[in-house]
Formats: sequence, structure tokens, C-alpha cells
Amino acid sequence: MKWATRSGVHIDRASSAWLIARFLDPGAEFVFVADLSEVPDGATPFDMRGVDFGHHGGDCTFETLLRRHDVVDPVLWRIGEIIHEADIEDEKFDAPEGPGLDALLRGLSMTQPDEEILRLTRPMFDGLYEYHRRALLGRQGHA
Amino acid sequence: MLLAYRVPREPSTPRIAIWRRLKRIGVAQLGDGLVALPQDARTQEQLEWVAEQVDEAGGRSTLWSAQALSQAQERAVIAELAAARGVEYAAVVARVESLTDAERVELARGLRVARRELRAIERRDHFPPVEREQARQAVAELAARARATDALVEQS
Repeated sequence: MKWATRSGVHIDRASSAWLIARFLDPGAEFVFVADLSEVPDGATPFDMRGVDFGHHGGDCTFETLLRRHDVVDPVLWRIGEIIHEADIEDEKFDAPEGPGLDALLRGLSMTQPDEEILRLTRPMFDGLYEYHRRALLGRQGHA
Repeated sequence: MLLAYRVPREPSTPRIAIWRRLKRIGVAQLGDGLVALPQDARTQEQLEWVAEQVDEAGGRSTLWSAQALSQAQERAVIAELAAARGVEYAAVVARVESLTDAERVELARGLRVARRELRAIERRDHFPPVEREQARQAVAELAARARATDALVEQS
């Protein structure tokens, strides 16, 4: 499936693209546009104003994607808290990783094109997922 | 950049959430339902999402890329923003000063709070006033004192 988002990706769009490609739509393709009117036919827009997969009810786009797809994986919801704090910074969650991730993504957006940011951040989010998966193992008592 | 918005008075929860969010991103309040921020990629995105929140609350919003016709008026808005942040930085300095006689644990806790407050203010500070350096300095000194107290405990 084709997905479209605004160019100049930051933390919410980079992490949402990772979430889509790894968990929601393994065959996902991404296009970057300047405006909603440029979204190609058949592409699903995300993290843009006035679309379903955007900020809603205090959630960032990553959280909206989790909610809309009825995702229950606690690791992804934990990452959602981190993305929320990196993106919205409202101290709703205790996520000290947030400001650091925000700084990394901002720096990447100054030096790399959008496609490259998605490619570079994929192993980073994979790693973040594995780190928090292990951290949650003890609490759940099973692998 | 300007956001003109109108939100229904009731229910009050979304209206207050919008107001809090605008406060958190450090807008200049130009009038009832009219706020301004200097335009860059980040502030534009912040205001766009507030506009979305306004629309979801059943309100009406428009975003404008605007230029003041009078430079003096623009400078007045900037001065107002700088002064508002200045008051917030001064509060951080006052908090640090209130810890003059603090014990080790209280010092560590005070430092954590002061650092968090300082970060939050810096994030919404678009025109840093002189008080910013003073607040940074005060927090740096507090950190040095907290370290010195820790070192003392380790020696004993």
C-alpha cells in the first residue's frame, strides 16, 4: 500500500513510518508531499492536518495509528509514550528518552533527505523496540 | 505567523486544553482568539496541530503567515514575549535562591525541578531575555553545590 506524509520528516513521521512498515503494512511504500492536495490517488495520508491518521484527542500520530489499528502490544504503547513526549512535550508521560530522540531526529532532518531518514531510523526504532521489549519481560513473567 | 481561532465556551475541557497548549508553546496573545508565534518549521507545525485541535473541539481556526505593517508594533510584541519569559526565568532563580540552606536530599530534588522548569521555559522561549543567562547560571551553581554536597558525603 502507498502512504503519504508531509516532507521534512521529524520524530512523529519517522516513527509512524517505521510502525507502518514493520507492523501494519509490510509492503508499505512512502511518498512525501508538501500539501494534502498533492497526496496521490490511493495513498493513505498520515501525520497531516485534517486526515484520520493525525493528531487526535491529545494523541500524536504514532498513538493514533496504534489506537486505530487496535494494537495491544505494550512495547509499542511504551514507544508511543516516548514519541508523544518527543513530539508534543506536554509531560503527560514520564519518558526521558523523548527529548534525546527529538534532538537526533532534528539533526537528521538538517542533514538528510526524507527517504534516507526513514532508512537510517529503521534500525534505531528496531533497537528501541528490542530494548523496551526486554525491559517489559520481567514484568510480564514470560518471553 | 498568526492563529485566529474561536472555540465554543462549553464544554470547557477542550477549550481549556487548547489554552494550556498555547501557553506551553509560548504564543503572544494579540487579542481574544488571536495568537502569534515567530514562524519556523517547528512553530508552524505546533500551531497547525493546535488549529486541528480547535476544529475538533467544534471551533473555527485559520492560520496566517503575517507581517506587521509597523515595525514598532512588531518589536512591542517581541518585547512582550521576552518579558513574559523573563518573569518565568526569574521564578527559577527565586526557586534556586530558596534552596540556600537546603540539605543534600532537598538540594538534589530542587535541582531536578529547576532543570525541568528551565528546559520547559527554553522550549517556548523565542526571544531570549537577559534573565535566561541568569537562570542558567543559577541552575549551574545549584548543580555545583549539589555535587559538592555529594562529594562531602562520600568522604565522610
